[in-house]
Amino acid sequence: MVEWRQLKPLEWCKYVNKKVKVTAHEKHQFDGWVFTVDPVSASIVLVTFQEKGGTATVRVVTGHAVQEVEILQEGNEETARRLRDTFMPLGGQVLSLEELRCRKESLRMWLEKNRIPVEEEGETLRVANVLTVSAPYGAENCSSSNEIILARVQNLMEGNPGLTLQQPSNS
Amino acid sequence: MRTPMSVLRLPRGPDPNSRGFDPDSPRFIALCSTTISSSTDTETDSVQIGEEQCARSMLRESFLRTLIAMTNKQVQFYMYERVKVNAVFVASDIDVLNFQVSDLQTPIGVQKEALLRCQDVILYSFDL
Repeated sequence: MVEWRQLKPLEWCKYVNKKVKVTAHEKHQFDGWVFTVDPVSASIVLVTFQEKGGTATVRVVTGHAVQEVEILQEGNEETARRLRDTFMPLGGQVLSLEELRCRKESLRMWLEKNRIPVEEEGETLRVANVLTVSAPYGAENCSSSNEIILARVQNLMEGNPGLTLQQPSNS
Repeated sequence: MRTPMSVLRLPRGPDPNSRGFDPDSPRFIALCSTTISSSTDTETDSVQIGEEQCARSMLRESFLRTLIAMTNKQVQFYMYERVKVNAVFVASDIDVLNFQVSDLQTPIGVQKEALLRCQDVILYSFDL
């Protein structure tokens, strides 16, 4: 087969969500479901699910060690979903529209109190024209191309007293 | 064999002249030829390049999620010459050339902090 590292990203995509057997240097062989192939290092991420659910084992074969990749089985919608869920961040809480609106208002008032220009653009807040905050308006929902402003705004957001609703108002 | 050992040699710092991911740097060209091969093809049209970039970013994002899932977990590294070591994964660099690990268990003791060369690693595995 053509050397694994010379393949193009579109060709690597063809292996995603398939069960493969990878032969690596020093006669190692591993099999598992391909979650992804890193385009920078050509490393293959293989996931092996446990029979009874629970934890999965992830094995990553570094790109330079791959000798041969053989497809054993095609995946389907179910395996794709399982692979996605394995790596999706945990603790995704579902907030009601009312709670989202409260959080957005609280954040907007806190930023204005700190003399930072903020505008509402639909569901997102635009801060100083270079940073956007999307739902649910936490520090990790900020997006900006300027890392200094990003760090400053995130620090500021963490100090927002309006977010912790458990605190009594006259403490 | 859990006695921590003292650091024998500090790793070299980053190259002060480059940001590390300059595509013209000799380090990048020598070690990361995969990302150069597809972008210099002059026969492909812009639609195909667009599709390729979409595929590339999707694959890379999934791989970065793998690295995030691996952080602060016990990882087994299988290296050349049948070397197998355990460590706690801390960070990777952008080209996936070096891994920073903690509590690296080696036959001569436990290294509190260490840098593993990815070129020496065949496979690394962890449980979610």
